[in-house]
Amino acid sequence: MTSKKNVYFKKLLFLVVLACCAAALYQFTDVDINFFSFAMRIRGPRLAAMFLASFCVGVASILFQTIINNVIVTPCLLGMNALYVLIHTSVVFLIGSGSKLSVNSPISFVVDLLSMAVVAVLIYGYLFQKAGGNILYILLVGSVLTTLFSSISTTMQRMMDPNEFDQLQNSLIASFERVNADAIWIAVMAILILVVWLWRQFPLLDVLVLGKHQAINLGVDYEKVSRKMLVGVTILIGIATALVGPISFLGLIIANLSRQLFKTYQHRYLTFGAALVGMVILFAGQTLVEQVFHFGANINAFINIGGGAYFLYLLLRGEKQ
Amino acid sequence: MKIQGLKKAYHREVVVDDVSFEIPEGKVLSLIGPNGAGKSTVMNIISRLLPLDDGKILFQGKELHQWKRQELAKKLAILTQSNHIAMKLSVWDLVAFGRFPYSGNHLTVEDTKMIQQAIDYMELGDLAHKFIDELSGGQRQRAYIAMVIAQDTDYVLLDEPTNNLDIYHATNMMKMVRRLCDELNKTVVLVLHDINYAAFYSDYICAFVDGKIAKFGTVEEVMNKKTLSDIYHVEFEIMNVANKPLSVYY
Repeated sequence: MTSKKNVYFKKLLFLVVLACCAAALYQFTDVDINFFSFAMRIRGPRLAAMFLASFCVGVASILFQTIINNVIVTPCLLGMNALYVLIHTSVVFLIGSGSKLSVNSPISFVVDLLSMAVVAVLIYGYLFQKAGGNILYILLVGSVLTTLFSSISTTMQRMMDPNEFDQLQNSLIASFERVNADAIWIAVMAILILVVWLWRQFPLLDVLVLGKHQAINLGVDYEKVSRKMLVGVTILIGIATALVGPISFLGLIIANLSRQLFKTYQHRYLTFGAALVGMVILFAGQTLVEQVFHFGANINAFINIGGGAYFLYLLLRGEKQ
Repeated sequence: MKIQGLKKAYHREVVVDDVSFEIPEGKVLSLIGPNGAGKSTVMNIISRLLPLDDGKILFQGKELHQWKRQELAKKLAILTQSNHIAMKLSVWDLVAFGRFPYSGNHLTVEDTKMIQQAIDYMELGDLAHKFIDELSGGQRQRAYIAMVIAQDTDYVLLDEPTNNLDIYHATNMMKMVRRLCDELNKTVVLVLHDINYAAFYSDYICAFVDGKIAKFGTVEEVMNKKTLSDIYHVEFEIMNVANKPLSVYY
């Protein structure tokens, strides 16, 4: 057993080194030494945002897959992306793109985060209890909400002034280029609070892998643990989305890469693995966007193309098994 | 374990109605009955998978819901048919989960010994490092039983353990149930569809009809022409095979 543990640690260490290299690559490629501190001030927050986004999306995806007991679901299904689009569309539609709420500032971040937290607690906390712990019901609610939010957003976007719409489009695509430092500190605080709140549930996660009945058999309060975890996942995805835009599709890729790499059920390896894989992808991807494409392409496009292809691969592989 | 006045209804439709019985310690008890008679519902309630509407379940002198979950998990093991695992998990890992109520995620030397014993008892040594999703149905069932053995409980509740198994594996499963009782001194309660398995391998039978107990007694008391015909509404003949009353229905 200890040899297995060593292998896991070696793999984690390898990922840490890889992520550090990718981070250094991003941070120090093509820096004019005369403007060193200026470049760091620009790239620093972006690096931090990518770090936090990978952490949130990676951990949330692994937890979500465990709660649903399915390895090809993504927390996109919770409707946080659509809610983000709805919030931003409503703000621009109702008070205009020049308003304080709309220009990128910590206020906008806090508004996003609070709305998502409210939805997480109200819908996923309360409804889950009402549904008697039926997880498929939650997925259904998530997809209905996604459709509802998107329809409202689309309606507003159609009625909007074209210039305003143009402004809006900017904030609806995931990007690390407009992150600001204050938002990052708020995000760090939010993540810390969440981790403290969920701390006692983490050791129970491995048991959830066995499914509801076996978890109950082994003395785990299945409903309470999965309800808390579900709310936690929603808020984590909310933090990442509020920070950089709709990005949760990344979760499918990194969660499954982590599963392929570690081939275990143990969450302490899977979650950190997913977060680290996410960092490697984002750091390297953003370096490409900035150095090779000179901002001509958006990292989101790469994530969606790569993610789509990988999803198909997972489906086809699953069919073979 | 004493069950008193158990009631359960879904939207006013009563599925379990005033059911009371006592589970005999150290014996094998089979719950039988036609579809929809409430046997599985009763099983799910005493397995704490379903909440009850009315009644009491006393387990070792204390009401079931007053037990601490972790303590109960050391006394009472359940095994149902919905055991889909989507993740990579080896047989050894699965059996090791049986020790979770005792040691959480950190196995002690004692735990490791118990896990190995359970694996040896179920003759899973060769398969210990295979992943669960690579096993056949019969092997998987054995792995789960090994986990229950590692859990080291006084009571074992099995919900239709012979479902989806062929004659060979189902019969071996029933022999295993007998060994759990005779060799490991466990009280075993199981829901069965096949009344002959119930007749051959259990000590007591509890037959349900329409949410009520139609007959509770030793195998000999339940396995007679009249009782079975009343329960299932088909013709029965009872034959004596290997000193056990087995039935033929037509």
